[in-house]
Amino acid sequence: MSEAEVRERVLEDDPAAAPAAAPAEPIRSASGMSPAISAALVTASSLALSACGGDTSSTPTSSSPPPVVVAPPPVVKITATQASRFLSQAAVGYSKAEVLNLADSGIDAWLNAQFAVARPQKFWDFLIAGNYDAAANINTTNGFDPMIWSQLMGSGDILRQRVGLALLDQWVTSVDGFGGSWRQFAMAAYLDVLWDNALGNYRDLMEGVSTNVAMGLYLTFLGNVKANPATGAIPDENYGRESMQLFTVGLTQLNMDGTPVLSGGVPVPTYTQADVSQAARVWTGYTYATNDGTTPARMRLPMIITAARSETGGASFLGITIPPGTDGATARKIALDGLFNHANTAPFVTKQLIQHLVTSNPSPAYVGRVAAVFANNGSGIRGDMKAVVRAILTDSEARDDNQVSSATFGKLREPVVRLVQWAKAFNVSSPTQLWPFGNTSSSANRLGESPGRAPSVFNWFRPGYTPPGSSVSAAGLVAPEFQITNEPTIIAYVNYMQSLIANGAGEAKPDYAALTTIAPDSAALLAELNLVLAANQISAGTIAQMKTALDTIATTTTAGTLNRIYAAIVLVMASPEYLVLR
Amino acid sequence: MDFSRRAFMSRASALSIAGAATPFVMNLAAIGEAAAATASDYKALVCVFLYGGNDYANTLVPYDTAQYATYTAQRGALGYSQAALAGTVLQPTTPLPGGAQYALAPELGKLLPVFNAGKMAVMLNVGTLVQPTTKAQYLANSVRLPPKLLSHNDQQSYWQASSPEGASSGWGGRIGDLLQSGNGTASLTCINPSGNAVFLSGQSAIQYALTTAGPIALNARNSLQGSAAAATLLQSLIGGSGAHQFQALHGGIGKRALDLYAQVSAGLASAPATTTPFPASADPQSSLGAQLQMVAKLMSVSAGLGAKRQVFFVSTGRYDTHDGLATLHPTLMTNLADALRGFYDTTVELGISQQVTTFTGSDFGRALTANNDGTDHGWGSMHFVLGGAVNGKRYYGTNPTLANGGPDDIGQGRLIPTMAVDQYAATLASWFGVSASNLPTVVPSIGNYAGSTLGTNLGFV
Repeated sequence: MSEAEVRERVLEDDPAAAPAAAPAEPIRSASGMSPAISAALVTASSLALSACGGDTSSTPTSSSPPPVVVAPPPVVKITATQASRFLSQAAVGYSKAEVLNLADSGIDAWLNAQFAVARPQKFWDFLIAGNYDAAANINTTNGFDPMIWSQLMGSGDILRQRVGLALLDQWVTSVDGFGGSWRQFAMAAYLDVLWDNALGNYRDLMEGVSTNVAMGLYLTFLGNVKANPATGAIPDENYGRESMQLFTVGLTQLNMDGTPVLSGGVPVPTYTQADVSQAARVWTGYTYATNDGTTPARMRLPMIITAARSETGGASFLGITIPPGTDGATARKIALDGLFNHANTAPFVTKQLIQHLVTSNPSPAYVGRVAAVFANNGSGIRGDMKAVVRAILTDSEARDDNQVSSATFGKLREPVVRLVQWAKAFNVSSPTQLWPFGNTSSSANRLGESPGRAPSVFNWFRPGYTPPGSSVSAAGLVAPEFQITNEPTIIAYVNYMQSLIANGAGEAKPDYAALTTIAPDSAALLAELNLVLAANQISAGTIAQMKTALDTIATTTTAGTLNRIYAAIVLVMASPEYLVLR
Repeated sequence: MDFSRRAFMSRASALSIAGAATPFVMNLAAIGEAAAATASDYKALVCVFLYGGNDYANTLVPYDTAQYATYTAQRGALGYSQAALAGTVLQPTTPLPGGAQYALAPELGKLLPVFNAGKMAVMLNVGTLVQPTTKAQYLANSVRLPPKLLSHNDQQSYWQASSPEGASSGWGGRIGDLLQSGNGTASLTCINPSGNAVFLSGQSAIQYALTTAGPIALNARNSLQGSAAAATLLQSLIGGSGAHQFQALHGGIGKRALDLYAQVSAGLASAPATTTPFPASADPQSSLGAQLQMVAKLMSVSAGLGAKRQVFFVSTGRYDTHDGLATLHPTLMTNLADALRGFYDTTVELGISQQVTTFTGSDFGRALTANNDGTDHGWGSMHFVLGGAVNGKRYYGTNPTLANGGPDDIGQGRLIPTMAVDQYAATLASWFGVSASNLPTVVPSIGNYAGSTLGTNLGFV
């Protein structure tokens, strides 16, 4: 960003000095669709803020001009252990080489490098390259799972992959959740919206999703029609509701640190059913950009609005006012601007991202620090995902090495991420791009979770899930990934991983060459696995037990060597000290 | 028990509901030997949860002239024709006031014989409440209401646990707390073949999950890549603990999986074969029938597993019919009827129908007023209870005024419940053996209904 641009966005940031009705947060004005504050938005934002207490506490003062020359930050090298721990939070998976690279370059340079990586391939282009647009595939989901595993396991933009997955956990669609033709392509276009914007701006993400065919089908506003006074039919409320509840503001008014606003000790609701009914009016008239469904092309064209089916009578919800006579596209802009700028959105979105990347139970202060960056990246831009991701991953709470001995910090590693971590650690490749891992949702013999196949828009697990009847619940903590953890899934995971570790999946094979040379020394083998897979979080006592067990497998033959390697990886990946990332 | 199995089977098939000319109610005394593997004082509750919020008006469809006129005006082309409903009109022992009549969705036709045999009851307008609530009180905001109404995840939780998302126990589990001590293996009190549900966790009672094929064996239980020592360590790790709370929790579940595998799989291996048909799932994404088959199988070996009181939870999804109501919902109804009927008949075949009470639940009901292609979130709904002990062929509760903006809805026919889930739960818990003095530990708000129109026991079982 240029100095001039920064100066243009000098903020009205002092809450004490700002008039009560003024928008207390910077409004994003870069790169695209929301260049200016409309009069309606000022009203919306101020109403929302007056209702919610505002989130102005951390916006910085920039009354003096920024420095003309910014010195590059010094390289701060980190240990390999620290690097592996960081990558466990930041990357969808990583190899030993990546650990060493990060340790040498330092976090800042690593983040900058990842931010600069253009997407090597889009989901959509994988399907085209694989000829999945052949007419025979029109009513199938052929190519869907290979497409996802190809990205997660085969792509070098490992930060984007991880953030994309985290966004998919919040902005859920599922190939199993809608019908019609070319569903794999609809999902490809949807995932491309998330992945394209994962390190972009949250407002662009909101726009992309809200005009995406897969979301239109999944939350049923493709084909939605304005109220019909003759028949009494009302607009479908699905997207109006869930776009508020799940994607932007949530059900409860939040302080900037993510804690609920209380009134008389009771959380204050963000909106009412009347707000939902009003919001639903915005999401009417949406349909495919073209009637031609013989090819997948329309699945990635933004939905268009059919005027005759679109509500133009205005709407009012959450303090957002859409005047009568407003066309559908403008109504969408006003609605999404209002939600984007709502006081809840920064803490609501950032807390969940922290939960997906770092820890299930971040401190309010941690949430507050990241939410402040969402509100303002330091240059007056709201919703800057690079800044948000950097803030999450470099926060002192995330980087504190002492957390490894905490009883509560961290998270249960998500099953899909465990699988991908194994694949990346051992350079699993798929020579003919089949990536034959398939649907992994079975809780009897797979992971009990499969990307892009969530059972509902509430995902595989909820950010507010606490294992009932547990000490975790009694302590007032949440543990989202435990919602898909039970007797079958724990055993099925180990069985499935054991099979993959030894055999791979079809043509997708791991490469254990580097381990083969050290396997005769089981201590060295375990040291390597503990570093690369577990960020050295498996204790010396457990490692000693593993060594004793592995030493019963002789390495005098090639088969014996491989068996020792397989057993070692299984033991590490089944270990509670691996499973709970601290 | 196979000495009497064959004889029983032939009688059962001759007497089954499927035989159109035979009396519906089987002579339970004559087939009592089927209960040999089930303790005589055995009882089970089975919660059938319909995730997404079932559409009440296309499930229990208004049929009399006045109600049907409202229904068809609000539903338009998404409603059933009156003619299509003629074959499934309910003829209860006591008609509803004012000539009100309902029909089951035609796809629920398989349940009609169960209703007519007096083994199925219909709950009118049941939903989440904190206390009895009128529309005036709702509008004046003068009574406490369940938080986060009309929100899926929160109302699922409130339905199951009397608290929104983040609840620490559910009422099925709280029932388990009180009764699990009578079971040989306390961990086999609350069982879920469908995943995780807060419903089945109590203060001390825990949910035990298995698959529709039973518990999962650890492949490496005897040897991990050729090493017995590694296999032993693997199991120690899976069932291990750790300084971190999540490690201890994970290890606890893992240990239970390993510890119970042998017992449960051996128990299931001795289950008698049953002949009651379960049709292939009408909904390809649902395993409801398979879940209920596993529940029946577990019940059939409950004596061997030392269980006298068990609470089960099964579930199926896709009920969030914002669109495609007219095409998807009938499929869901067919699937539900197939599964419920198959399960009920199986309990009859096993001679335990009197000891098993099955009931439906869902996030919420839906609006009566349709959108272009479906219906949106509501509140109160209609539900079913089935079982040999049920006082069936009856309605329970108060028939709401079906309307868009009438006395019993908050608009668009989103019903204000006139029967609380708390009352529904308390009635089931009482049948199951929970004493009146213990009811508040299961249903904390039950005291709010003492002296109310419907009271604290609805009397349906």
